[in-house]
Amino acid sequence: MKSSVFWALVRKDIYVLRGFMIITVAVGLAALVGMRFGRIGFAIGGILFLTANVAGGIFIAMYSLLTERKEQSNLFALSLPISGFKYDLAKLVSGYVGYGIPWSVLTAIGLAGYFMPYAAADRGMFVYGLVLQLFVMALFSFVLVWLFVVASEVLAGLVILISNICFSLFMVTLNQPEVTRPLHSPHIVWTPFALWAIAGELAVIALSTALALFALSRRRDHLRSL
Amino acid sequence: MTQQVSPQAFALRGVSKAFRYFKLENLSLELPLGQILGLVGPNGAGKSTTIRLLMGLMTAETGSIEVLGHRVPEQVAAAKAGVAFVSDDMRLFSGATLAWHMRFVASIYPEWDEAYARTLLKHFNLRAEQGVKGLSRGEHIKSMLLLALARRPRLLILDEPTSGLDPVARHELLTELMQIVRDESRSILFSSHNTLDVERICDQIAFIDRGRLVDARDKESFLDRWRRISLDVPTGVTLPRLKDVVNLTLGEQLATLTTDRYEPALDAVLQASGARITDVQRMSLEEIFVASVMRSRAEVQS
Repeated sequence: MKSSVFWALVRKDIYVLRGFMIITVAVGLAALVGMRFGRIGFAIGGILFLTANVAGGIFIAMYSLLTERKEQSNLFALSLPISGFKYDLAKLVSGYVGYGIPWSVLTAIGLAGYFMPYAAADRGMFVYGLVLQLFVMALFSFVLVWLFVVASEVLAGLVILISNICFSLFMVTLNQPEVTRPLHSPHIVWTPFALWAIAGELAVIALSTALALFALSRRRDHLRSL
Repeated sequence: MTQQVSPQAFALRGVSKAFRYFKLENLSLELPLGQILGLVGPNGAGKSTTIRLLMGLMTAETGSIEVLGHRVPEQVAAAKAGVAFVSDDMRLFSGATLAWHMRFVASIYPEWDEAYARTLLKHFNLRAEQGVKGLSRGEHIKSMLLLALARRPRLLILDEPTSGLDPVARHELLTELMQIVRDESRSILFSSHNTLDVERICDQIAFIDRGRLVDARDKESFLDRWRRISLDVPTGVTLPRLKDVVNLTLGEQLATLTTDRYEPALDAVLQASGARITDVQRMSLEEIFVASVMRSRAEVQS
Protein backbone atom coordinates (compact mmCIF):
# COMPACT_ATOMS: atom_id res chain seq x y z
CA MET A 1 0.00 0.00 0.00
CA LYS A 2 1.22 3.49 -0.81
CA SER A 3 -0.27 5.07 2.28
CA SER A 4 -2.03 3.74 5.36
CA VAL A 5 -5.67 3.16 4.52
CA PHE A 6 -6.51 3.83 8.16
CA TRP A 7 -5.08 7.35 8.08
CA ALA A 8 -6.35 7.94 4.56
CA LEU A 9 -9.87 7.28 5.90
CA VAL A 10 -9.29 9.54 8.90
CA ARG A 11 -8.03 12.32 6.59
CA LYS A 12 -11.01 11.74 4.33
CA ASP A 13 -13.41 12.16 7.24
CA ILE A 14 -11.71 15.36 8.36
CA TYR A 15 -12.02 16.62 4.76
CA VAL A 16 -15.71 15.71 4.69
CA LEU A 17 -16.30 17.23 8.15
CA ARG A 18 -14.33 20.41 7.46
CA GLY A 19 -17.48 22.49 6.94
CA PHE A 20 -18.95 21.53 10.32
CA MET A 21 -15.59 22.09 12.00
CA ILE A 22 -15.15 25.57 10.52
CA ILE A 23 -18.74 26.59 11.32
CA THR A 24 -18.42 25.33 14.91
CA VAL A 25 -15.24 27.35 15.47
CA ALA A 26 -16.59 30.44 13.67
CA VAL A 27 -19.88 30.50 15.61
CA GLY A 28 -18.09 29.75 18.88
CA LEU A 29 -15.58 32.57 18.38
CA ALA A 30 -18.32 35.02 17.36
CA ALA A 31 -20.20 34.03 20.53
CA LEU A 32 -17.12 34.68 22.66
CA VAL A 33 -16.77 38.14 21.12
CA GLY A 34 -20.49 38.78 21.69
CA MET A 35 -20.14 37.86 25.36
CA ARG A 36 -18.09 41.02 25.90
CA PHE A 37 -21.01 43.32 25.05
CA GLY A 38 -22.91 43.79 28.30
CA ARG A 39 -25.26 41.48 30.18
CA ILE A 40 -27.48 40.73 27.19
CA GLY A 41 -24.47 40.14 24.97
CA PHE A 42 -23.01 37.86 27.63
CA ALA A 43 -26.24 35.86 27.90
CA ILE A 44 -26.80 35.54 24.15
CA GLY A 45 -23.11 34.88 23.49
CA GLY A 46 -23.02 32.26 26.24
CA ILE A 47 -26.01 30.41 24.82
CA LEU A 48 -24.56 30.63 21.31
CA PHE A 49 -21.17 29.37 22.53
CA LEU A 50 -22.75 26.35 24.19
CA THR A 51 -24.97 25.71 21.19
CA ALA A 52 -21.97 25.79 18.86
CA ASN A 53 -20.16 23.32 21.10
CA VAL A 54 -23.03 20.90 21.69
CA ALA A 55 -24.73 21.09 18.29
CA GLY A 56 -21.35 20.99 16.52
CA GLY A 57 -20.54 17.77 18.37
CA ILE A 58 -23.87 16.14 17.56
CA PHE A 59 -23.70 17.19 13.90
CA ILE A 60 -20.14 15.91 13.56
CA ALA A 61 -20.97 12.58 15.23
CA MET A 62 -24.13 12.12 13.18
CA TYR A 63 -22.65 13.23 9.88
CA SER A 64 -19.50 11.21 10.34
CA LEU A 65 -21.33 7.97 11.18
CA LEU A 66 -24.94 7.99 10.10
CA THR A 67 -24.60 9.79 6.78
CA GLU A 68 -21.98 7.35 5.55
CA ARG A 69 -24.19 4.43 6.53
CA LYS A 70 -27.34 6.02 5.13
CA GLU A 71 -25.72 7.02 1.83
CA GLN A 72 -24.02 3.61 1.64
CA SER A 73 -20.64 5.17 1.01
CA ASN A 74 -19.45 2.93 3.88
CA LEU A 75 -19.58 0.09 1.34
CA PHE A 76 -17.05 1.98 -0.79
CA ALA A 77 -14.79 2.62 2.21
CA LEU A 78 -15.05 -1.02 3.26
CA SER A 79 -14.05 -2.16 -0.23
CA LEU A 80 -10.59 -0.66 0.42
CA PRO A 81 -7.81 -2.85 1.84
CA ILE A 82 -8.71 -2.42 5.48
CA SER A 83 -10.34 -4.76 7.99
CA GLY A 84 -13.82 -3.99 9.27
CA PHE A 85 -12.41 -3.39 12.77
CA LYS A 86 -9.86 -0.86 11.52
CA TYR A 87 -12.50 0.87 9.41
CA ASP A 88 -14.68 1.30 12.50
CA LEU A 89 -11.65 2.42 14.49
CA ALA A 90 -10.84 5.01 11.81
CA LYS A 91 -14.40 6.35 12.16
CA LEU A 92 -13.98 6.58 15.93
CA VAL A 93 -10.64 8.37 15.63
CA SER A 94 -11.90 10.76 12.96
CA GLY A 95 -14.97 11.50 15.07
CA TYR A 96 -12.77 12.46 18.02
CA VAL A 97 -10.33 14.42 15.83
CA GLY A 98 -13.15 16.06 13.86
CA TYR A 99 -14.78 17.34 17.01
CA GLY A 100 -11.63 17.52 19.12
CA ILE A 101 -10.07 20.24 16.94
CA PRO A 102 -12.92 22.80 17.15
CA TRP A 103 -13.58 21.86 20.79
CA SER A 104 -9.90 22.39 21.68
CA VAL A 105 -9.77 25.74 19.88
CA LEU A 106 -12.95 27.00 21.55
CA THR A 107 -12.00 25.61 24.97
CA ALA A 108 -8.50 27.09 24.82
CA ILE A 109 -9.68 30.52 23.68
CA GLY A 110 -12.72 30.50 25.97
CA LEU A 111 -10.71 29.56 29.06
CA ALA A 112 -7.86 31.92 28.15
CA GLY A 113 -10.42 34.72 28.41
CA TYR A 114 -10.50 34.24 32.20
CA PHE A 115 -6.84 35.26 32.33
CA MET A 116 -7.44 38.55 30.52
CA PRO A 117 -7.31 41.71 32.67
CA TYR A 118 -10.98 42.47 32.06
CA ALA A 119 -11.97 39.12 33.61
CA ALA A 120 -9.66 39.32 36.64
CA ALA A 121 -12.54 39.59 39.11
CA ASP A 122 -14.13 36.41 37.83
CA ARG A 123 -10.98 34.32 37.30
CA GLY A 124 -12.41 31.65 39.60
CA MET A 125 -15.04 30.94 36.92
CA PHE A 126 -12.24 29.30 34.95
CA VAL A 127 -13.19 26.13 36.84
CA TYR A 128 -16.83 26.57 35.83
CA GLY A 129 -15.78 26.93 32.17
CA LEU A 130 -13.54 23.88 32.37
CA VAL A 131 -16.24 21.73 33.99
CA LEU A 132 -18.71 22.86 31.34
CA GLN A 133 -16.39 22.22 28.40
CA LEU A 134 -15.37 18.81 29.70
CA PHE A 135 -19.05 17.97 30.07
CA VAL A 136 -19.61 18.92 26.44
CA MET A 137 -16.76 16.60 25.41
CA ALA A 138 -18.16 13.80 27.61
CA LEU A 139 -21.55 14.31 25.98
CA PHE A 140 -19.95 14.10 22.54
CA SER A 141 -18.19 10.85 23.53
CA PHE A 142 -21.48 9.43 24.76
CA VAL A 143 -23.30 10.33 21.53
CA LEU A 144 -20.47 9.17 19.24
CA VAL A 145 -20.07 5.83 20.96
CA TRP A 146 -23.77 5.00 21.17
CA LEU A 147 -24.26 5.96 17.55
CA PHE A 148 -21.57 3.37 16.84
CA VAL A 149 -23.31 0.73 18.89
CA VAL A 150 -26.96 1.20 17.93
CA ALA A 151 -28.20 -0.03 14.57
CA SER A 152 -31.54 1.68 14.12
CA GLU A 153 -32.60 5.22 13.36
CA VAL A 154 -35.08 5.19 16.25
CA LEU A 155 -32.36 4.24 18.75
CA ALA A 156 -30.04 6.87 17.27
CA GLY A 157 -32.78 9.47 17.86
CA LEU A 158 -33.17 8.17 21.42
CA VAL A 159 -29.42 8.60 22.04
CA ILE A 160 -29.62 12.23 20.96
CA LEU A 161 -32.74 12.78 23.09
CA ILE A 162 -31.00 11.31 26.15
CA SER A 163 -27.95 13.49 25.51
CA ASN A 164 -30.20 16.59 25.42
CA ILE A 165 -31.86 15.61 28.71
CA CYS A 166 -28.43 15.00 30.29
CA PHE A 167 -27.25 18.41 29.13
CA SER A 168 -30.32 20.17 30.56
CA LEU A 169 -30.01 18.36 33.90
CA PHE A 170 -26.31 19.16 34.07
CA MET A 171 -26.90 22.85 33.38
CA VAL A 172 -29.56 23.00 36.13
CA THR A 173 -27.11 21.35 38.57
CA LEU A 174 -24.15 23.48 37.52
CA ASN A 175 -26.06 26.72 37.92
CA GLN A 176 -27.15 26.09 41.52
CA PRO A 177 -25.99 29.05 43.68
CA GLU A 178 -24.11 26.73 46.07
CA VAL A 179 -22.10 25.45 43.11
CA THR A 180 -21.34 28.78 41.44
CA ARG A 181 -20.99 31.03 44.51
CA PRO A 182 -17.52 29.78 45.57
CA LEU A 183 -16.33 30.15 41.98
CA HIS A 184 -17.16 33.86 41.75
CA SER A 185 -13.72 34.80 42.96
CA PRO A 186 -10.57 36.44 41.55
CA HIS A 187 -8.74 33.21 42.41
CA ILE A 188 -9.10 29.74 40.97
CA VAL A 189 -10.78 27.52 43.55
CA TRP A 190 -11.02 23.77 43.00
CA THR A 191 -14.19 22.98 44.92
CA PRO A 192 -15.06 19.34 45.74
CA PHE A 193 -18.02 19.59 43.34
CA ALA A 194 -15.74 20.76 40.52
CA LEU A 195 -13.21 18.02 41.17
CA TRP A 196 -15.88 15.32 41.29
CA ALA A 197 -17.49 16.69 38.16
CA ILE A 198 -14.17 16.73 36.27
CA ALA A 199 -13.40 13.19 37.44
CA GLY A 200 -16.85 12.03 36.36
CA GLU A 201 -16.53 13.69 32.96
CA LEU A 202 -13.11 12.16 32.32
CA ALA A 203 -14.49 8.79 33.41
CA VAL A 204 -17.39 9.09 30.96
CA ILE A 205 -14.96 9.90 28.12
CA ALA A 206 -12.70 6.98 29.03
CA LEU A 207 -15.57 4.50 29.56
CA SER A 208 -17.31 5.55 26.36
CA THR A 209 -14.13 5.02 24.37
CA ALA A 210 -13.53 1.67 26.08
CA LEU A 211 -17.11 0.60 25.36
CA ALA A 212 -16.70 1.55 21.71
CA LEU A 213 -13.47 -0.44 21.39
CA PHE A 214 -15.07 -3.42 23.13
CA ALA A 215 -18.14 -3.31 20.88
CA LEU A 216 -16.01 -2.93 17.75
CA SER A 217 -13.74 -5.83 18.67
CA ARG A 218 -16.78 -8.11 18.98
CA ARG A 219 -18.47 -7.01 15.76
CA ARG A 220 -18.56 -9.77 13.13
CA ASP A 221 -20.59 -7.99 10.48
CA HIS A 222 -19.27 -4.58 9.55
CA LEU A 223 -21.87 -3.49 7.10
CA ARG A 224 -24.58 -1.65 8.93
CA SER A 225 -27.38 0.29 7.38
CA LEU A 226 -29.40 3.00 9.04
CA MET B 1 3.33 -7.92 2.40
CA THR B 2 4.00 -11.08 0.41
CA GLN B 3 1.31 -12.32 -1.94
CA GLN B 4 0.64 -16.03 -1.63
CA VAL B 5 0.38 -18.03 -4.81
CA SER B 6 -3.02 -19.63 -5.23
CA PRO B 7 -4.55 -21.25 -8.30
CA GLN B 8 -7.90 -19.76 -7.32
CA ALA B 9 -8.97 -16.17 -7.32
CA PHE B 10 -11.29 -17.21 -4.52
CA ALA B 11 -12.64 -20.33 -2.92
CA LEU B 12 -15.63 -20.70 -0.62
CA ARG B 13 -15.92 -24.07 1.07
CA GLY B 14 -19.01 -25.13 3.04
CA VAL B 15 -19.89 -21.54 3.88
CA SER B 16 -23.08 -20.83 5.83
CA LYS B 17 -24.51 -17.60 7.15
CA ALA B 18 -27.92 -17.26 8.78
CA PHE B 19 -30.10 -14.17 9.11
CA ARG B 20 -33.55 -13.86 10.59
CA TYR B 21 -35.39 -14.68 7.37
CA PHE B 22 -32.64 -16.02 5.15
CA LYS B 23 -29.88 -18.57 5.27
CA LEU B 24 -26.95 -19.11 2.96
CA GLU B 25 -26.40 -22.83 3.22
CA ASN B 26 -23.23 -24.84 2.78
CA LEU B 27 -22.01 -22.84 -0.20
CA SER B 28 -18.93 -24.11 -2.02
CA LEU B 29 -17.75 -22.14 -5.02
CA GLU B 30 -14.40 -21.50 -6.67
CA LEU B 31 -13.12 -19.14 -9.32
CA PRO B 32 -9.88 -20.16 -11.08
CA LEU B 33 -7.44 -17.33 -11.81
CA GLY B 34 -8.06 -15.55 -15.09
CA GLN B 35 -11.67 -16.69 -15.37
CA ILE B 36 -14.94 -14.78 -15.27
CA LEU B 37 -17.65 -16.23 -13.11
CA GLY B 38 -21.25 -15.13 -13.48
CA LEU B 39 -23.18 -15.53 -10.25
CA VAL B 40 -26.80 -15.66 -11.32
CA GLY B 41 -29.80 -15.72 -9.04
CA PRO B 42 -33.15 -14.09 -8.46
CA ASN B 43 -33.44 -11.15 -6.06
CA GLY B 44 -32.79 -12.33 -2.52
CA ALA B 45 -31.02 -15.50 -3.68
CA GLY B 46 -27.86 -14.78 -1.67
CA LYS B 47 -25.61 -13.22 -4.32
CA SER B 48 -24.84 -10.08 -2.33
CA THR B 49 -24.41 -12.07 0.89
CA THR B 50 -21.90 -14.31 -0.88
CA ILE B 51 -19.98 -11.28 -2.11
CA ARG B 52 -20.08 -9.58 1.28
CA LEU B 53 -18.65 -12.72 2.85
CA LEU B 54 -15.89 -12.76 0.21
CA MET B 55 -15.11 -9.12 0.97
CA GLY B 56 -14.98 -9.82 4.72
CA LEU B 57 -17.86 -7.43 5.36
CA MET B 58 -19.64 -10.28 7.11
CA THR B 59 -18.31 -13.31 8.91
CA ALA B 60 -19.45 -16.80 7.95
CA GLU B 61 -20.76 -19.06 10.68
CA THR B 62 -19.26 -22.20 9.13
CA GLY B 63 -16.84 -23.00 6.33
CA SER B 64 -13.73 -21.31 5.01
CA ILE B 65 -13.11 -18.48 2.58
CA GLU B 66 -9.92 -17.73 0.68
CA VAL B 67 -9.41 -14.73 -1.59
CA LEU B 68 -6.21 -14.44 -3.66
CA GLY B 69 -4.53 -16.88 -1.31
CA HIS B 70 -5.51 -15.05 1.86
CA ARG B 71 -7.91 -16.34 4.49
CA VAL B 72 -10.96 -14.16 5.02
CA PRO B 73 -11.80 -12.55 7.40
CA GLU B 74 -8.45 -13.11 9.20
CA GLN B 75 -6.32 -11.64 6.38
CA VAL B 76 -9.01 -9.55 4.76
CA ALA B 77 -6.93 -6.38 4.34
CA ALA B 78 -4.22 -8.29 2.47
CA ALA B 79 -6.86 -10.04 0.35
CA LYS B 80 -8.60 -6.78 -0.52
CA ALA B 81 -5.34 -5.22 -1.68
CA GLY B 82 -5.75 -7.14 -4.92
CA VAL B 83 -9.53 -6.82 -5.17
CA ALA B 84 -11.75 -4.09 -6.57
CA PHE B 85 -15.41 -4.23 -5.66
CA VAL B 86 -18.31 -2.35 -7.21
CA SER B 87 -21.87 -2.85 -6.11
CA ASP B 88 -25.22 -1.59 -7.25
CA ASP B 89 -25.92 -0.24 -3.75
CA MET B 90 -22.48 1.28 -3.21
CA ARG B 91 -22.11 5.07 -3.23
CA LEU B 92 -19.14 7.41 -3.31
CA PHE B 93 -18.63 10.10 -0.65
CA SER B 94 -21.28 12.69 -1.41
CA GLY B 95 -19.28 15.71 -0.24
CA ALA B 96 -16.41 15.19 -2.70
CA THR B 97 -15.73 15.28 -6.44
CA LEU B 98 -14.72 12.40 -8.68
CA ALA B 99 -11.25 13.95 -8.97
CA TRP B 100 -10.93 13.85 -5.19
CA HIS B 101 -11.94 10.18 -5.21
CA MET B 102 -9.34 9.47 -7.91
CA ARG B 103 -6.61 11.10 -5.82
CA PHE B 104 -7.88 9.25 -2.73
CA VAL B 105 -7.79 5.81 -4.36
CA ALA B 106 -4.48 6.58 -6.11
CA SER B 107 -2.93 7.41 -2.72
CA ILE B 108 -3.78 3.91 -1.50
CA TYR B 109 -3.05 1.63 -4.45
CA PRO B 110 0.48 1.45 -5.90
CA GLU B 111 -0.94 -0.14 -9.08
CA TRP B 112 -3.13 2.91 -9.81
CA ASP B 113 -2.88 3.64 -13.53
CA GLU B 114 -3.43 7.37 -14.01
CA ALA B 115 -3.28 7.19 -17.80
CA TYR B 116 -5.90 4.45 -17.86
CA ALA B 117 -8.04 6.45 -15.42
CA ARG B 118 -7.89 9.44 -17.80
CA THR B 119 -8.82 7.19 -20.73
CA LEU B 120 -11.79 5.79 -18.84
CA LEU B 121 -12.82 9.29 -17.80
CA LYS B 122 -13.02 10.26 -21.45
CA HIS B 123 -14.53 6.96 -22.54
CA PHE B 124 -17.29 7.12 -19.92
CA ASN B 125 -17.83 10.82 -20.65
CA LEU B 126 -17.29 11.79 -17.02
CA ARG B 127 -15.99 15.11 -15.67
CA ALA B 128 -13.47 14.71 -12.86
CA GLU B 129 -14.35 18.01 -11.23
CA GLN B 130 -18.03 17.17 -10.98
CA GLY B 131 -19.35 16.68 -7.45
CA VAL B 132 -20.56 13.18 -6.67
CA LYS B 133 -23.93 14.59 -5.55
CA GLY B 134 -24.66 15.76 -9.09
CA LEU B 135 -23.93 12.45 -10.80
CA SER B 136 -26.74 10.49 -12.43
CA ARG B 137 -27.19 6.82 -11.53
CA GLY B 138 -25.31 5.71 -14.62
CA GLU B 139 -22.51 8.24 -14.06
CA HIS B 140 -22.21 7.10 -10.46
CA ILE B 141 -21.77 3.45 -11.48
CA LYS B 142 -19.29 4.46 -14.20
CA SER B 143 -17.34 6.54 -11.67
CA MET B 144 -17.09 3.60 -9.30
CA LEU B 145 -16.00 1.37 -12.16
CA LEU B 146 -13.34 3.86 -13.16
CA LEU B 147 -12.02 3.87 -9.59
CA ALA B 148 -12.11 0.06 -9.54
CA LEU B 149 -10.55 -0.58 -12.95
CA ALA B 150 -7.76 2.01 -12.78
CA ARG B 151 -6.32 0.34 -9.70
CA ARG B 152 -5.64 -2.71 -11.94
CA PRO B 153 -7.07 -5.32 -9.56
CA ARG B 154 -6.28 -9.03 -9.79
CA LEU B 155 -9.87 -9.82 -8.86
CA LEU B 156 -12.78 -7.61 -9.84
CA ILE B 157 -16.04 -8.21 -7.99
CA LEU B 158 -19.13 -6.67 -9.54
CA ASP B 159 -22.43 -6.97 -7.70
CA GLU B 160 -25.32 -6.17 -10.06
CA PRO B 161 -23.30 -3.42 -11.79
CA THR B 162 -25.72 -3.01 -14.69
CA SER B 163 -28.80 -2.73 -12.51
CA GLY B 164 -30.61 0.55 -13.09
CA LEU B 165 -28.49 1.53 -16.08
CA ASP B 166 -30.00 2.65 -19.36
CA PRO B 167 -29.26 0.42 -22.37
CA VAL B 168 -26.48 2.69 -23.69
CA ALA B 169 -24.68 2.90 -20.35
CA ARG B 170 -25.10 -0.86 -19.95
CA HIS B 171 -23.58 -1.45 -23.37
CA GLU B 172 -20.62 0.85 -22.57
CA LEU B 173 -20.02 -0.91 -19.30
CA LEU B 174 -20.15 -4.40 -20.75
CA THR B 175 -17.90 -3.39 -23.65
CA GLU B 176 -15.33 -2.11 -21.17
CA LEU B 177 -15.58 -5.34 -19.23
CA MET B 178 -15.05 -7.30 -22.44
CA GLN B 179 -11.80 -5.35 -22.90
CA ILE B 180 -10.65 -6.30 -19.42
CA VAL B 181 -11.60 -9.90 -20.03
CA ARG B 182 -8.88 -10.04 -22.67
CA ASP B 183 -6.31 -9.72 -19.91
CA GLU B 184 -6.09 -13.33 -18.79
CA SER B 185 -4.36 -12.56 -15.53
CA ARG B 186 -7.48 -10.92 -14.13
CA SER B 187 -10.41 -12.71 -12.61
CA ILE B 188 -13.93 -11.35 -12.41
CA LEU B 189 -16.93 -12.27 -10.32
CA PHE B 190 -19.99 -10.81 -11.96
CA SER B 191 -23.22 -11.07 -10.04
CA SER B 192 -26.46 -10.38 -11.83
CA HIS B 193 -29.98 -11.54 -12.39
CA ASN B 194 -29.62 -10.46 -16.02
CA THR B 195 -28.64 -13.65 -17.82
CA LEU B 196 -28.01 -11.81 -21.11
CA ASP B 197 -25.21 -9.79 -19.52
CA VAL B 198 -23.76 -12.88 -17.89
CA GLU B 199 -23.94 -14.94 -21.07
CA ARG B 200 -22.12 -12.18 -22.93
CA ILE B 201 -19.04 -11.91 -20.74
CA CYS B 202 -18.70 -14.93 -18.44
CA ASP B 203 -17.00 -18.24 -19.03
CA GLN B 204 -18.05 -19.85 -15.73
CA ILE B 205 -21.59 -19.69 -14.42
CA ALA B 206 -23.09 -20.46 -11.01
CA PHE B 207 -26.81 -20.44 -10.29
CA ILE B 208 -27.88 -19.60 -6.77
CA ASP B 209 -31.38 -19.63 -5.32
CA ARG B 210 -32.77 -19.22 -1.80
CA GLY B 211 -29.30 -19.41 -0.30
CA ARG B 212 -28.31 -22.63 -2.05
CA LEU B 213 -25.99 -23.25 -4.96
CA VAL B 214 -28.15 -24.80 -7.67
CA ASP B 215 -25.50 -25.55 -10.28
CA ALA B 216 -22.05 -24.34 -11.30
CA ARG B 217 -20.05 -25.16 -14.40
CA ASP B 218 -18.53 -23.53 -17.47
CA LYS B 219 -20.87 -21.69 -19.82
CA GLU B 220 -20.32 -23.95 -22.84
CA SER B 221 -21.08 -27.00 -20.76
CA PHE B 222 -24.39 -25.42 -19.67
CA LEU B 223 -25.34 -24.52 -23.22
CA ASP B 224 -24.24 -27.89 -24.64
CA ARG B 225 -25.97 -30.08 -22.11
CA TRP B 226 -29.36 -28.44 -21.93
CA ARG B 227 -31.92 -29.16 -24.67
CA ARG B 228 -35.64 -28.83 -25.13
CA ILE B 229 -36.96 -31.70 -27.24
CA SER B 230 -40.38 -31.49 -28.88
CA LEU B 231 -41.99 -34.85 -29.53
CA ASP B 232 -44.94 -36.20 -31.41
CA VAL B 233 -46.25 -39.06 -29.28
CA PRO B 234 -48.82 -41.21 -31.13
CA THR B 235 -51.64 -42.77 -29.13
CA GLY B 236 -50.54 -45.92 -27.36
CA VAL B 237 -46.91 -44.89 -27.23
CA THR B 238 -45.44 -44.50 -23.76
CA LEU B 239 -42.27 -42.49 -23.35
CA PRO B 240 -39.48 -44.41 -21.60
CA ARG B 241 -38.49 -43.42 -18.06
CA LEU B 242 -35.38 -41.36 -18.53
CA LYS B 243 -33.13 -39.97 -15.89
CA ASP B 244 -31.80 -36.45 -16.39
CA VAL B 245 -35.21 -35.21 -17.52
CA VAL B 246 -35.68 -31.89 -15.80
CA ASN B 247 -39.20 -31.28 -17.06
CA LEU B 248 -41.75 -33.20 -19.11
CA THR B 249 -44.91 -31.56 -20.40
CA LEU B 250 -47.39 -33.96 -21.93
CA GLY B 251 -50.22 -32.87 -24.24
CA GLU B 252 -52.64 -35.12 -26.13
CA GLN B 253 -50.13 -36.15 -28.75
CA LEU B 254 -47.38 -33.65 -28.14
CA ALA B 255 -44.72 -33.69 -25.48
CA THR B 256 -41.93 -31.32 -24.55
CA LEU B 257 -39.01 -32.73 -22.68
CA THR B 258 -36.23 -30.72 -21.06
CA THR B 259 -32.95 -32.41 -20.21
CA ASP B 260 -29.73 -31.16 -18.65
CA ARG B 261 -27.61 -34.04 -20.02
CA TYR B 262 -28.36 -34.15 -23.67
CA GLU B 263 -26.52 -36.65 -25.86
CA PRO B 264 -27.39 -37.65 -29.44
CA ALA B 265 -28.04 -41.19 -28.13
CA LEU B 266 -31.11 -39.80 -26.36
CA ASP B 267 -32.76 -39.17 -29.74
CA ALA B 268 -32.41 -42.85 -30.62
CA VAL B 269 -33.90 -43.94 -27.28
CA LEU B 270 -36.91 -41.67 -27.77
CA GLN B 271 -37.43 -42.73 -31.38
CA ALA B 272 -37.16 -46.40 -30.42
CA SER B 273 -40.12 -45.88 -28.08
CA GLY B 274 -42.27 -44.88 -31.03
CA ALA B 275 -42.19 -41.12 -30.46
CA ARG B 276 -41.20 -38.83 -33.30
CA ILE B 277 -38.76 -36.00 -32.58
CA THR B 278 -40.04 -32.81 -34.19
CA ASP B 279 -37.49 -30.38 -32.81
CA VAL B 280 -34.36 -30.29 -30.64
CA GLN B 281 -33.69 -26.77 -29.38
CA ARG B 282 -30.68 -25.36 -27.64
CA MET B 283 -31.80 -23.32 -24.66
CA SER B 284 -30.83 -19.79 -23.74
CA LEU B 285 -29.03 -19.22 -20.46
CA GLU B 286 -32.16 -17.60 -19.09
CA GLU B 287 -34.24 -20.68 -19.88
CA ILE B 288 -31.59 -22.92 -18.36
CA PHE B 289 -31.48 -20.74 -15.28
CA VAL B 290 -35.26 -20.79 -14.80
CA ALA B 291 -35.44 -24.55 -15.34
CA SER B 292 -32.56 -25.16 -12.91
CA VAL B 293 -34.13 -23.00 -10.22
CA MET B 294 -37.57 -24.59 -10.62
CA ARG B 295 -36.05 -28.06 -10.37
CA SER B 296 -34.05 -27.08 -7.30
CA ARG B 297 -37.13 -25.66 -5.58
CA ALA B 298 -39.11 -28.81 -6.39
CA GLU B 299 -36.31 -30.95 -4.93
CA VAL B 300 -36.21 -28.89 -1.75
CA GLN B 301 -40.00 -29.10 -1.34
CA SER B 302 -40.05 -32.85 -1.89
